[in-house]
Amino acid sequence: MKPRDNPGDLLQGTLDLLILKALARGAMHGYGVAEWIHQTSDEILRVEEGALYPALHRLELRGLLDSEWGFSDNNRRAKYYSLTAAGRKQLSEETEFWRRMSGAVARILQTA
Amino acid sequence: MSSEVLNKFVRRLRTLFKRRELDRDLGDEVAFHLAMRERKNLDTGMNPEDARHAARRSFGNVTQATQKSRALWTFETFEGFFQDVRFGARMLRKNPGFTAVAILTLALGIGANSAIFSVINSVLLQRLPFADPDRLVRIYATQNTPANLPVSGEDYFDWQKLAQSFESMSIYGPPQSYNASGAGDPETISVDRTEANFFSLLGIQPQVGRAFGQGEDRKGNNQVAILSAGFAARHFGNAGEALGKVVRLDFQPYTVIGVMPGKFNYPEAVDAWIPLDMSLEVLGRRGNYSYRALARLKRGVTLAQARADMAAVASNLAREFPVTNANEGTRVIPFKEVLTGESRPQLLVLLGTVALVLLVACTNVANLLLARATGRQREMALRTALGASQSRLLRQLLTEGVLLSFAGGAVGLTGAWWLVKFAQSAKQLPLPRQNPIQLDPIVLLFTICACLLVGVLFGLAPALEASRMEQSEQLRSSAQSIAGTSGWRLMLRNALVVAEVATSLALLVGAGLLLRTFAHMRNADIGVRTQHILTAAVVLPEAKYQAIPDRREFYDRLLERVQHIPGVDAAALAEQIPLEGSHGNTANLPGVADSLHGGLSVNVNFVSPDYFRLFGLSFLSGRGFTPEEIDRAYEAGRKSDEYWSAGGQTLNHVVPEWSSFAIINRTMARQLWPNEDAVGKVFINNLTQPVTVVGVVADEKYGGIREPVNAEQYFPVTAELRNHWYPPNIVVRTAIEPQSVLSGIRRALQGLDSELSLFRVRTMEQVISDNMQDTTLQTVLLGTFAALGLVLAAVGLYGVMAYLVTQRTHEIGLRMALGAQQRDILRLVLGRGSKLAVLGVAVGLAGSLVLTRLLSQELFGVKATDPATFAAVSLLLIFVALLASFIPARRASRVDPLVALRYE
Repeated sequence: MKPRDNPGDLLQGTLDLLILKALARGAMHGYGVAEWIHQTSDEILRVEEGALYPALHRLELRGLLDSEWGFSDNNRRAKYYSLTAAGRKQLSEETEFWRRMSGAVARILQTA
Repeated sequence: MSSEVLNKFVRRLRTLFKRRELDRDLGDEVAFHLAMRERKNLDTGMNPEDARHAARRSFGNVTQATQKSRALWTFETFEGFFQDVRFGARMLRKNPGFTAVAILTLALGIGANSAIFSVINSVLLQRLPFADPDRLVRIYATQNTPANLPVSGEDYFDWQKLAQSFESMSIYGPPQSYNASGAGDPETISVDRTEANFFSLLGIQPQVGRAFGQGEDRKGNNQVAILSAGFAARHFGNAGEALGKVVRLDFQPYTVIGVMPGKFNYPEAVDAWIPLDMSLEVLGRRGNYSYRALARLKRGVTLAQARADMAAVASNLAREFPVTNANEGTRVIPFKEVLTGESRPQLLVLLGTVALVLLVACTNVANLLLARATGRQREMALRTALGASQSRLLRQLLTEGVLLSFAGGAVGLTGAWWLVKFAQSAKQLPLPRQNPIQLDPIVLLFTICACLLVGVLFGLAPALEASRMEQSEQLRSSAQSIAGTSGWRLMLRNALVVAEVATSLALLVGAGLLLRTFAHMRNADIGVRTQHILTAAVVLPEAKYQAIPDRREFYDRLLERVQHIPGVDAAALAEQIPLEGSHGNTANLPGVADSLHGGLSVNVNFVSPDYFRLFGLSFLSGRGFTPEEIDRAYEAGRKSDEYWSAGGQTLNHVVPEWSSFAIINRTMARQLWPNEDAVGKVFINNLTQPVTVVGVVADEKYGGIREPVNAEQYFPVTAELRNHWYPPNIVVRTAIEPQSVLSGIRRALQGLDSELSLFRVRTMEQVISDNMQDTTLQTVLLGTFAALGLVLAAVGLYGVMAYLVTQRTHEIGLRMALGAQQRDILRLVLGRGSKLAVLGVAVGLAGSLVLTRLLSQELFGVKATDPATFAAVSLLLIFVALLASFIPARRASRVDPLVALRYE
């Protein structure tokens, strides 16, 4: 289990996880990732763009994402991100951790 | 995990090269995102204008977002630092006046500090160029007095046998004058005779050739010499050329086997080293104290242990040889202490002075920076509003402060370099010369630390101030408070100016006292005539003038020739020149002779009959030496010389033929026979020798201008014709300029023996100057620093006043509009300035009264609390302060009210 750097990173870590998940289905640009998270969460989660791009770049620096310039469906130049092998591994680890965490929290909250 | 970190770092490094591309990419990414959002908004029915705005708004703060991303691929700290530096440099460039003053001030303060520190460093702190110098010690003999005495050869051998604490010992003589010839011009040089292991004990290798080998200090093997770098350069061109050559010292041939490196200079500035003859007969028996001993402690042995060891050895010898060693003890002193001992207090005074100057300089700059800082409050507030963090602001201000101080330090260091070069080349400076004085890495480090410290201090002051106030409060601040004309900021500035003036006063008082000391010493009455007197030493080499009669004949003929040189009023021979005497005996009244009591400590001189007339020493009673007395002294001297040459022991009984005659000075007469005429009386010299007084002369100053007059006895010069340590001086008094007879004297000397030369030719005035070297140096240095401090204080006062005027222009305009005259404004500003100055002077006076006590040892003829000096300096400072305030005051009074009122 990867240790957390500091508890305040929880939010950032969560965002990272969502991004990784978003890209598991295939390469996407930043706008697409934000939209996918928004839609898939039934419009509950809205990603701050100011947080999204730094997160994407950070993940790329860590070697979990690859990026490539391409053209969007309306022929605009856009940067597409995709998972690397390390990214996939990280995704499964983080997912497991998240499941454990949320399960534990739920259990505590269930007690009267 | 570490591989991830490594990868991350590598990737980061790579991004360093692609920065511009990454920036562009980021811009494109953001643009794309906004475009998509905008399109979506359009799809939901907004008009194009609203769509765009909505898109932007939802994105959030674009700048902040991109900042975070950019932070990933820039090394923000470094970049921020460079940015700070560039910005700081720009700010400094925009205010050239302020910058120039600040840099100059710091340059003076830091530069002076660095220069003095490098002197102190090389003299006090630096490691001696010897191997493992902390284990080196000097061993002295003592005779129940605090004096450190030379060592006898036989004692030395016993020490070597008995002492346990030392790895090795070496013996060497004090430097002596030898005649050097056979290579270029003949020259009188200083030569030291040492044991063969001298250099290896010290751990110094010659730069070419080798040191003495074992056995080279025995007769037959010891005709070898090691030269100093200077001597080799003077006579052979360079060190390499000198190897293997033969040089004649006192007409004996010596083969050069090595040349020492230029910076090796032990003992005092010798030109060559030759081996001793270590056989007991030549080295001298117990009781003949002529040498110096050096030793290296065994590893792990402490100084205390070594001292106890030597004490035991000494008492051992005292028991075995009571006749000679009954009262003899030993003293073990670390080598370093011996070398630096004399100059330490002076240098510490210098250090204190320079620290004060730096304080003044820093105070000045602090004031200037504070003044500027209050003007920048708005700027700081604005930057905070734009998103700069506190730490970033702090960093900016610190960087500016450090930039300023480093600029000042760089300029100062250049100045210091010049100063140090001067100090190194100026031969008159009385500094131990074991290590060359130079700006070395330690000094550089010291300077950099000083710069950093100063810079941080200066950066912090306004920075802390800026961070203290609330943002909005800063923007809304009243004009008065920003102008810094009220509140604690003003008080701080005033306090700084007062401190400056006070420090400057302290420095000036010190300089003033020293200046008066200097004047007093120059004009002091030393008891003898000083005008038109020339002195020079003449050394007769042992080998050529072995027999005493030969020496007497030479000196007699020389004196006669010199007396007949046109222009010479009087000529004499003297072992000691006034102010430079260093030969001592003890004198007792007969019947009171007691080895435990020591007796009266008396100075000794050996002179020819005309000495007294030459120097204007009048006879208070009695007469000079008669020719018979001179002959008898000669005979006694000859017999004594024979006795010692044959290896005689110290005597405890009297040898009648050796009774002699002496002329004594008034002080000695008064001390031995207070109410009687001393002529005809007898005293006991050195516990054994009865001496009859034939005359009493006026007092002269024997050892130095500062020293009080001591008892002194004069013997005929014929009694001591063989004396390597005090070669007789030939002294002439001329009717005309003394230098003009110098060539005549040289010719007279050459006429007698073409291989001889005069040594240390000086006029009496030069002798006085030499004696005053210390004081001269101190006066010059302290005077310079005091002047520096004065200039800095004046500049500081001016700066504060000028700033004040600028800030209060509005108020001044108001006053003038309300009817104030130019005069009134003048009085207003001058009044402010003079109040500060007077306060500063008052504080300074109080401080000086305490501080000058530290100087009292160096003063002569003036008290440490001399009121005249204090008063004069105070007036000077007040005058300068008024002048400094006057200029901005005048500017203030010239202000056009209309302009001023509009000024905000």
